[in-house]
Amino acid sequence: MPVAASAIYFLNLRGDVLINRLYRDDVGGNMVDAFRVHIMQTKELGTCPVRHIGGCSFFYMRISNVYIVIVVSSNANVACAFKFVVEAVALFKSYFGGAFDEDAIRNNFVLIYELLDEIMDFGYPQNLSPEILKLYITQEGVRSPFSSKPTDKPVPNATLQVTGAVGWRREGLVYKKNEVFLDIVESVNLLMSSKGSVLRCDVTGKILMKCFLSGMPDLKLGLNDKIGLEKESQIKSRPTKSGKTIELDDVTFHQCVNLTRFNSEKTVSFVPPDGEFELMKYRITEGVNLPFRVLPTIKELGRTRMEVNVKVKSVFGAKMFALGVVIKIPVPKQTAKTSFQVTSGRAKYNAAIDCLVWKIRKFPGQTEPTMSAEVELISTMAEKKSWTRPPIQMEFQVPMFTASGLRVRFLKVWEKSGYNTVEWVRYITKAGSYEIRC
Amino acid sequence: MAPPAQSQRSPSPSQPSGKGEVSDLKSQLRQLAGSRAPGIDDSKRELFKKVISYMTVGIDVSSLFGEMVMCSATSDIVLKKMCYLYVGNYAKVNPDLALLTINFLQRDCKDEDPMIRGLALRSLCSLRVANLVEYLVGPLGSGLKDNNNYVRTVAVMGVLKLYHISASTCVDADFPAMLKHSMLNDSDAQVVANCLSALQEIWSSEASSSEEASREREALLSKPVVYYFLNRIKEFSEWAQCLVLELVGKYVPSETSEIFDIMNLLEDRLQHANGAVVLATIKVFLQLTLSMTDVHQQVYERIKAPLLTLVSSGSPEQSYAVLSHLHLLVMRAPFIFSSDYKHFYCQYNEPSYVKKLKLEMLTAVANESNTYEIVTELCEYAANVDIPIARESIRAVGKIALQQYDVNAIVDRLLQFLEMEKDYVTAEALVLVKDLLRKYPQWSQDCIAVVGNISSKNIQEPKAKAALIWMLGEYSQDMHDAPYILESLIENWEDEHSAEVRLHLLTAVMKCFFKRPPETQKALGAALAAGLADFHQDVHDRALFYYRLLQYNVSVAQRVVDPPKQAVSVFADTQSSEIKDRIFDEFNSLSVVYQKPSYMFTDKEHRGPFEFSDELGHLSIGAESTGHASQSSLAIDDLLGLGLPVAPAPAPSPPLLKLNSKAVLDPGTFQQKWRQLPISLSQEYSVSPRGVAALTAPQALLRHMQGHSIHCIASGGQSPNYKFFFFAQKAEESSTFLVECIINTSSAKAQIKIKADDQSASEAFSTLFQSALSEFGLP
Repeated sequence: MPVAASAIYFLNLRGDVLINRLYRDDVGGNMVDAFRVHIMQTKELGTCPVRHIGGCSFFYMRISNVYIVIVVSSNANVACAFKFVVEAVALFKSYFGGAFDEDAIRNNFVLIYELLDEIMDFGYPQNLSPEILKLYITQEGVRSPFSSKPTDKPVPNATLQVTGAVGWRREGLVYKKNEVFLDIVESVNLLMSSKGSVLRCDVTGKILMKCFLSGMPDLKLGLNDKIGLEKESQIKSRPTKSGKTIELDDVTFHQCVNLTRFNSEKTVSFVPPDGEFELMKYRITEGVNLPFRVLPTIKELGRTRMEVNVKVKSVFGAKMFALGVVIKIPVPKQTAKTSFQVTSGRAKYNAAIDCLVWKIRKFPGQTEPTMSAEVELISTMAEKKSWTRPPIQMEFQVPMFTASGLRVRFLKVWEKSGYNTVEWVRYITKAGSYEIRC
Repeated sequence: MAPPAQSQRSPSPSQPSGKGEVSDLKSQLRQLAGSRAPGIDDSKRELFKKVISYMTVGIDVSSLFGEMVMCSATSDIVLKKMCYLYVGNYAKVNPDLALLTINFLQRDCKDEDPMIRGLALRSLCSLRVANLVEYLVGPLGSGLKDNNNYVRTVAVMGVLKLYHISASTCVDADFPAMLKHSMLNDSDAQVVANCLSALQEIWSSEASSSEEASREREALLSKPVVYYFLNRIKEFSEWAQCLVLELVGKYVPSETSEIFDIMNLLEDRLQHANGAVVLATIKVFLQLTLSMTDVHQQVYERIKAPLLTLVSSGSPEQSYAVLSHLHLLVMRAPFIFSSDYKHFYCQYNEPSYVKKLKLEMLTAVANESNTYEIVTELCEYAANVDIPIARESIRAVGKIALQQYDVNAIVDRLLQFLEMEKDYVTAEALVLVKDLLRKYPQWSQDCIAVVGNISSKNIQEPKAKAALIWMLGEYSQDMHDAPYILESLIENWEDEHSAEVRLHLLTAVMKCFFKRPPETQKALGAALAAGLADFHQDVHDRALFYYRLLQYNVSVAQRVVDPPKQAVSVFADTQSSEIKDRIFDEFNSLSVVYQKPSYMFTDKEHRGPFEFSDELGHLSIGAESTGHASQSSLAIDDLLGLGLPVAPAPAPSPPLLKLNSKAVLDPGTFQQKWRQLPISLSQEYSVSPRGVAALTAPQALLRHMQGHSIHCIASGGQSPNYKFFFFAQKAEESSTFLVECIINTSSAKAQIKIKADDQSASEAFSTLFQSALSEFGLP
């Protein structure tokens, strides 16, 4: 059995039940009490998302200020259960427009009950595709408590297209202006040792699309990845144009992508769902261009003083710039006084997270601002050497830059009516977990 | 839906009590029921919403049943859904009223709109009232043949629901055969998938009683059926694909060529965005190639990349689920992953459950080429703020040291840990140095020099203390201070709480004595004297044994206590390979996460209590009215499946053991008695789920047991482990019972040790204790 969930609960942080749906009788109604008592009210919270209490297993996830708990009594498939929760939340979000939190649930509980009925029957996941469900469930989500609109649209003849050949797309869509938006969003993960050598570095990227296309279009996407290019040059029996090719370690696709064709022809071709979706995900470990280098020197001068010098180098093109750069430099808990000198941006001491926080709103390429700070500490007897320097962490966004070097070579749209489309392509690189030990 | 009686216990303080509101709602619903004014549906919707929201927070709105049913005559689909939800929730507790709804549900099952047909059918099957099943057969039969696929998917699940309410009705109506037909012929993939899940459940549970069913269950795994599913796999939704892949994983192909065909067909599933599908595919690949070593290894290589991607994407919970599987594979074939060790480096902000798995994997994949990097990384974590992780990483370093040939550098690192001057680091490192010395005695010189500098006063943890003492004894000839350190430890014998440490101390001082007799003689005498007076049985026995051995012949004693030792080559593995294989067979399930095979956590013995939890509510009332008669509590226990020895005659004359409700015992006397008396009874009980739920703090149980004249003298612990010492006295005489009770709430078990002045009564007392415990948590 993949899941056969016995029950799903939505709880707020206090442990009040917001929604409960019991699919099967093999767990009692008091299971939620067991969760409250043994997980929420103890230190166990956060120690493990899968717990076994009194013969039942609990899978739980916290999403904003809500716990979603699945209870099963058998040997269920964990990956499937968590994926189900994630998908369900995405579905709810698509109904109430963005936020998923306690208020949204309280305002939309009838809708959630309706959805829960459709997405899972007797514990088995059914259809979770928002596109199809919107045919069944026409209630609109309540976006704010004061603007609840009457929802008396007639129910369209819904069940006709529930499972056609293309389960994720409705037929007969019409747009005046046919547009496709494609975003390549990459997050760079870095772990650098205190000596400046890269311990671990990878890029996880995703290609997000937003399609407003009429009819049943066929799309084809070409990237400068190695496999695709090699295949192409084989077919056309001519060498590829010079330029960087990217080796993708691993790729996963949205279910709309024709995987057989990808494996034989190495092109990404698909009939897209309407609206927003994630086309593919990939991972790269070789040849990552790190957008920033951080060079810290931290000196402890005696027991009560520290000197912190941090230089950050931007190593992307001089014409580009990064936005929202935040550098967090940890300092000991007993920090008393700090003074800063920065060549760019602003720095301050944040006692809540025990960090010096240096913010640079706009950070041009090929520059290297520095920050130097003096930190005075309260001298204490108890603290011997117990300050374990946590790593420096960095946040940033670099538009029009991909750490992997991945580029879209072409995006073709073909539909039998032969309309013209406008394609928009954007790139952005964000910091994933960008850590520099010091 | 939760029966209201239970959820009502926990409405938040801000919620209205509900009584006034409910009667308000009732009258409003009445007004609307007959009205046909335009816009009436909107006001009905508002009212229904209120009802449902009360229901969710746990207010009992079942009294509105009649009004709700009257209002449900509407064509508004949202209203209908809310009404169905309400009916489904309360039908079980109001079977009579549920009969009222049958009519309109049956009518809706014949509605023109397939949406309404489906909804009505689903609600009809969700009523879960046993005496209404006769009304289900007809609609289900036509639902299965409905020309709309939505209705059919619902109907298939309905059959499964019917099976759970009344298996015989379902089988008699020949539904399984109909499902089988749809499974193999329906054009809609979701219908097919639902048929598969339903049939798997039905035939699995029928298989024990009917041969035909077990044949059918086998037939699901036959070649034509499996191939039929494989050929349609792309039509299925991602969830249904998991189901199908699970089935394929159990299929045993007859020829090698089949294996490759299946793998070629499924290869692209490894690129699916849904991690569950990828894991299910991996399972198929691994299972199919088990007997082909080469290919099996290639499969590992092939699945590496998708697994690593899954780990690094998605929420921490999802990556934990995948990581657990990766962990399993790494443990099975560490060499395949040894070049990927950097993927197992921990990030600072990762939750500790993820870090822990990663540490174990780092340990497993360490080999000659990467040990240096891995150990360097692990040493970083040793200074981590998160103490449990720091401990784990030190242990990991030690494990690597024990499995490697070149331990040079590692020993240095471990010795550096000892100098870090953090209690927990020192403690862990000491234990490791001890194990290391058992395997590599040649390192003793280097280690002893550092260990000698550690002051035994700074070490509190019993394990670490025992390790230090062991080293003091073993290497006393090389450690100048050894006899004197031991002597000072013996002087503080009384303050040493851990019996383990005291045992080690005895042995160490003996060893030291053989090597440096003049310096140790005094300490040995003191240790033996203290040991002989010790209240702990083992310590006492060992001291006596050593004493007699020395009396008999000193050189024999040396041969027994301190023989020349051979280095340990391999430390025993904690988990048997049989269990590991079982877990591997259950790939892609909870077994992998718990790291134990499913029978250990899904056995009926554990699950029993929950299936009766509803009856429990009614029973407990009966039990109260009959007072404390142990017969009635026995009945409850039995229903709960508490694993009581089934008394052949249900205790015709229950042992008339009366306890003194005002018993007193001072802690000193308790301790003395506890040490003197032998254990007369040692048992393990299951604790009811309610008991587990109520056991939030030790105090809760104390008050409860006091009501049964069983008093507590000491208690402690935190979830999931609680420990209690209880005592009780017989009513007439001053005979005392002492109980040590350890309750583990996560396994719902209580371990009981009873000591008694009058041992013949301990059996009766145990029964009493158990029944008192089983009533804990009942309202």
